[in-house]
Amino acid sequence: MSASPTFVARTGNFFHRYANPGQFLKLGARLQPWLTWPAILLTLTGLGWGLFFSPADWQQGDSVRIMYVHVPAAMLASAGYAGLAICGLLSLVWRHPLADLAAVEIGPVGASITALCLATGSLWGKPMWGTWWVWDARLTSVLVLFFLYLGHIALIRAFDDPQRGYKAAAILALAGAVDLPIIKFSVQWWNTLHQPDSITLTGAPTMSSSMLWPLALSALGMGLGFAAIVVARTRAAVMESRIRALLSSPRRRGNAA
Amino acid sequence: MTHLPYIAASYGLFAIMALVFSVGAALRLKRDRIRLATLEQKAPRKAGAAPQS
Amino acid sequence: MTRKTRRLWLVIACVACLGTAAALILRAFSSDIVFFVTPSQVMASPPPKDRTVKLGGMVVAGSVHRERRGETPVATFNVTDGQAAVTVHYEGILPDLFREGQSVVAIGTVQPSHDFTATEVLAKHDETYMPKEVAEALKKAGKWDPRFGPPPSADSWNKMTVQDARKNTATQPASN
Repeated sequence: MSASPTFVARTGNFFHRYANPGQFLKLGARLQPWLTWPAILLTLTGLGWGLFFSPADWQQGDSVRIMYVHVPAAMLASAGYAGLAICGLLSLVWRHPLADLAAVEIGPVGASITALCLATGSLWGKPMWGTWWVWDARLTSVLVLFFLYLGHIALIRAFDDPQRGYKAAAILALAGAVDLPIIKFSVQWWNTLHQPDSITLTGAPTMSSSMLWPLALSALGMGLGFAAIVVARTRAAVMESRIRALLSSPRRRGNAA
Repeated sequence: MTHLPYIAASYGLFAIMALVFSVGAALRLKRDRIRLATLEQKAPRKAGAAPQS
Repeated sequence: MTRKTRRLWLVIACVACLGTAAALILRAFSSDIVFFVTPSQVMASPPPKDRTVKLGGMVVAGSVHRERRGETPVATFNVTDGQAAVTVHYEGILPDLFREGQSVVAIGTVQPSHDFTATEVLAKHDETYMPKEVAEALKKAGKWDPRFGPPPSADSWNKMTVQDARKNTATQPASN
């Protein structure tokens, strides 16, 4: 407890130094090409490899190629929400204005990638399992994540005073983070129709390396793409807040004169 | 290729989504940059520096 | 600064409480969250005849009998979890992935005779992904028979390329 004030202060200083909106505009503009171009290159390589050159699975046939979209989308759905939760923490504890702007922009991107994960999962489940949807623990917890995203999107825009929306949404983002470990471990804690993870930290991946490589590339590419889109949208949001400030301040001054 | 409709639908959905989001973000950035530049040109230097947070 | 520290601890406490509450709720409803019951659970305490249950397990090798009753295919097979086996009757088209040794989930009711009448059969595939050639090589080498369970440890095959596998199967002494 005694060491925490300095930690909190130092963390706050760090974010104010490197992530204040003005600094972010400069940093983001410089970072943008390094995110965008590798994202496009890696995603196209990974998905092209997965779609045309990787082998078909011995029992699933070519439908295994849906994996190269589905698995990165699932990873990003969780990672995006973890990002929202971190923004929520920065907003609630350090009142960081950039965290709120980023949370507004992550929401729709994360919700869409979660929807993509659910849709591709359905398209994979129908030919393989024999059903579009089942209410097992993995599928249900990801559906809950999708609704958490929708709730966050609605809440952060729901108030006339944006600060109140930011606060409510930050609380929802942190509370909803409880769903993330449930998603991760659902396939271990309960028996589900969804298979357990092929790639784990502890064991060898139960996947041929000829499928693992394209998967790794497309996951990396889509991850960078997600980051690139969030950075671009947050840069735009910072600019928009400046535009609003510029538009309102001279007018107020003009009225007073 | 087996299960082609399912595979095509999956990749198609991803392509549409990626396209919508990246084009949307690029257009929004471009529009905001132009608006900000014109406003900052018009506004005196002081007004540009004030609204930081 | 102390205000910030206080807020940080408040947030940590709230998240910890919420996490504990969620964990307790999930524990309490654990038996409802599981997607299927196993054959030994069904044998130990058969559910009432009118209750729909999902039975999950592996299709026993050699137990599958398919016939045709008029237009509809009828299948009978045993599902096991290693300890008990339940005989499943199903009228309809089985999913593509259905085979001996495959995990399946049968949705239906338990008859008084302890047989299971399924209205729907779902295939549950495992987390192993391998090219057809690698699977063939493992089978040819006698390391794996898909009808009797999961493949051998992944690090024994996940680096094998399709070319390696083709070579292996070609150089194997002809087994058929």
